[in-house]
Amino acid sequence: MNVNEKFSAIRKGLLEFLVLQIIAAEKVYAADILKQLSATEFATQEGTLYPLLSKMRRDGLLDYEWKESEAGPPRKYYQLTARGREHLRETLEYWAQINGTVKKLGQK
Amino acid sequence: MNKVITINLGGNAYQLEEGGYGTLRAYLETATARLKDNPDRDEILLDIERAIADKFRALLASHKNVVETKEVNAVIAEMGPIETDGGAAANETANPGGASESKAAGEEQAKSGSPRRLYRIKEGSMVSGVCNGLGAYLSVDPTFIRLAFAFLAIFWGTGFGIYIILALVIPMAETPEEKAAATGSPATAQEFIRRAKEGYYEATKGFSDSKTRREWTRRWKREMRAHSNQWRDNWENYWKIHTPVHPGLGFTLPVLSVLQGTATVLWICAMISLLATGMIFGLALPASVPVWAATLLLFILYGVIIGPMKAARRAYYWTAGGSRWAFPFIALVDTVVWMVVAVVLLCLAIHYFPELHQAVQTLPTRVDEAVTDVKTWWHNK
Repeated sequence: MNVNEKFSAIRKGLLEFLVLQIIAAEKVYAADILKQLSATEFATQEGTLYPLLSKMRRDGLLDYEWKESEAGPPRKYYQLTARGREHLRETLEYWAQINGTVKKLGQK
Repeated sequence: MNKVITINLGGNAYQLEEGGYGTLRAYLETATARLKDNPDRDEILLDIERAIADKFRALLASHKNVVETKEVNAVIAEMGPIETDGGAAANETANPGGASESKAAGEEQAKSGSPRRLYRIKEGSMVSGVCNGLGAYLSVDPTFIRLAFAFLAIFWGTGFGIYIILALVIPMAETPEEKAAATGSPATAQEFIRRAKEGYYEATKGFSDSKTRREWTRRWKREMRAHSNQWRDNWENYWKIHTPVHPGLGFTLPVLSVLQGTATVLWICAMISLLATGMIFGLALPASVPVWAATLLLFILYGVIIGPMKAARRAYYWTAGGSRWAFPFIALVDTVVWMVVAVVLLCLAIHYFPELHQAVQTLPTRVDEAVTDVKTWWHNK
């Protein structure tokens, strides 16, 4: 079992966090999110992203609005709600804490 | 040369090759099935459709207006399987680059998801695959079908003629989708209901504003109601004609009432046991039938059984009562009789069958759970 496989569960769990990060930076639509993720270890497919986005919206973390696009039909642009921002802040703090632990443990 | 099918994705028309259409359809059907418990099912499906439409649009140009089968397959592999909150497809998406893996999954989905169709199957066939295909279609060992054809051919010669006609008429399963459809799941009642629901969903989706949609839904319901009324009236008229006199008003009417009461009690008991245990009187449902479909079937079955009885009783009221004032009177007495019978039987049933007793006791908590589910969903919306 290589590292990539071993961490698939962790990547899955972190996906929501990363999507929050991406949406926090600017209003984006789904294809943007996928594009930003595609270059990373977190490359994701629509089949995973859309159910996740809808779940996050149900949890009140994000919201969307329809916007005309230059080519083709209008698109859903996602943005964070106040609750989503709060959640992201908490997650970032916790992530920093975990990172610290990983670095610190085992060192004398 | 390939046949082309035009489809509507997110409000725009796209032309796909037939094989591609099959794959896409199987993919969307699987998606619908996977999302069946998701409160945002319809919205996610629309999102998915729009995303597929975007990808198709990118493939087309002014001199190319048909999406080829291999392109559809590539797009679907790119979309990846629908992963629900529960993570049912978790291990399938672990490696997003694995297009071949996704494609295999897609074929598997097509096998279990799409309805079965009649094709000739070349693999393992003796002559042209007719018997093989028929065997797969009817879930019978093809050897028996070959024997039947041979028998017919020897004694009457018709088997030979029929075989040739079938060989000419039935298409050969060529693409993976067609092969999957040749051995796919049979057309069950569940499939029928699902398709009916899908048709309803498709039709409502087509309207842009909510007003026309509401109007359409209202008309649809009214038509359905009209059909069922028509059916009842037919039975009532039948009984009116077939009971010119009333030889057994005192006898037939109570018997009918008791029958109807018993049927009602049986139905209620079956419903309770189905909702509480997921089984009907300890009989497990076939794996392919979900509880809601069984519930619906029970409703329909109840309606079908009870309808003629009700109509007969109503017809009796009229012919037996004679005068106008007698109708409500007899109807009242009769209804009281069958309700008493129903209540007594139900009490007895609950008293004598411990499973039923238990089921009735757990029923309030089950209903409570369901209500809470709906409530939380509503608040989260």
